[in-house]
Amino acid sequence: MIKHHPQQNLLVSHANGDLPLSMAIAVSAHCALCETCREQLARLTEQAANLALNPDDAHAANNTDQESIHTAHIEAENIQSTQEPMMDIDAMLAQIIAQPMATNVPSNAPLDVQVKQQHYTVPSVFRQHLARPWQILGKVSRMRFDVNEMNTRASLLHIDALGEIPQHTHKGYELTLLLAGEFSDLNGEYVPGDFILLNSQTHHAPKTKTGCLCYTVLNAPLYFTKGLSKLLNPIGELIY
Amino acid sequence: MENIQSLPEQNRYHRPISSQIGTAMDNETHAKDLAEQQVEMDRLTAAMLQIANQRDKAAFSYLFTHFMPKIRAFGLQRLNQQGLAMDLVQETMTSVWTKAHLYNADKGSVTTWIFTIMRNQCFDMLRRVQHNKEDVFGDDIWPLCDTTMAQDTLTDHKLTAKLLQHLDALPLAQRQVVQGIYMQELTQQELADALKVPIGTIKSRLRLGLEKLKSFLETHND
Repeated sequence: MIKHHPQQNLLVSHANGDLPLSMAIAVSAHCALCETCREQLARLTEQAANLALNPDDAHAANNTDQESIHTAHIEAENIQSTQEPMMDIDAMLAQIIAQPMATNVPSNAPLDVQVKQQHYTVPSVFRQHLARPWQILGKVSRMRFDVNEMNTRASLLHIDALGEIPQHTHKGYELTLLLAGEFSDLNGEYVPGDFILLNSQTHHAPKTKTGCLCYTVLNAPLYFTKGLSKLLNPIGELIY
Repeated sequence: MENIQSLPEQNRYHRPISSQIGTAMDNETHAKDLAEQQVEMDRLTAAMLQIANQRDKAAFSYLFTHFMPKIRAFGLQRLNQQGLAMDLVQETMTSVWTKAHLYNADKGSVTTWIFTIMRNQCFDMLRRVQHNKEDVFGDDIWPLCDTTMAQDTLTDHKLTAKLLQHLDALPLAQRQVVQGIYMQELTQQELADALKVPIGTIKSRLRLGLEKLKSFLETHND
């Protein structure tokens, strides 16, 4: 059973579309795997929709609609005369209605990911991110996504059976979403769907018996804290 | 039930306790508000279904007039630019028109569906402005038709069960052919040989059987 879920405020931000791509992917993938959060997100989306597009009360709504269309017309004309030409509202409506029905709707069936001759199933949100090469370092393989968010790194992380990541802390936050397989650390064992968000105070050393595939988001490189693995610090960036 | 969510905030929380005494009139206005909102919601749903089923232009024009100012206000707030806000209106309403057949009234209100399209579009537009990226990720992150793995197989099972039930209602000759082709995965020639009839007969029985199944499902859905 999934025990680790995104916090309520993260779900609210996600419903409003306020999270950066790296985190939006994580919450979306979690919700694909977790029915409880999926239902919660549906409720929050409905609330957000009513706040943004609420049909006030019928009379007032009709009046404001007429008015704002009128103002939009005027503003459109004003802008037309001063800045670049702007489309007239009626022309926009006509142009939309001239378009045919959309036929290619992307499927949201789960996807197959292959790494080191092993197949894993991941949620469809990863659809456009799986084309990059795997970088392999011993039992750890990583496919880094191109999210363009300054220091934030988003990757798929695969750990082979009996592999582990040496004990480390993070300068920023570390999100791990287990997609397939299992791993454990000093806090216990994790199952697919578990959404584990750690801050810079947490030490941990995840290890897996049978192998696992995770999605990870980090906003600063790892910092290894124990024994010989400190030697890894210069290549911490490479691992995630 | 959902209507409670869309009530103006002061109606729910901000009413002084003293005024709760003798609120008969208040309650009446309240009930009227609720009723009006229900009418409004029904009108939006009816329009959306007319667009989905008949590509009804008048119904779309109604939705466009209703949502245009609200989407524009949302766009102005998020994208901070008149031109981009109008782009958001255009992109959102274009998707409403071209993807209307994906709307499922059982899964949520028209307002929630249009909000989903608008938020997804706005997410991609913001990335375009901030990162100069032409990616389209919004609809992957928040799928427009809510076909998650579990629900997908569920409806699939339901449909299969329904089909099987109607299969029994087909005349024997047609049932044999439909079962042979779709459940035992025989070729038309193999079936013709097994039943000792010409292949043309197999083809026409299959066509008749499928048409009948289709009409069962259609009347069932009405």
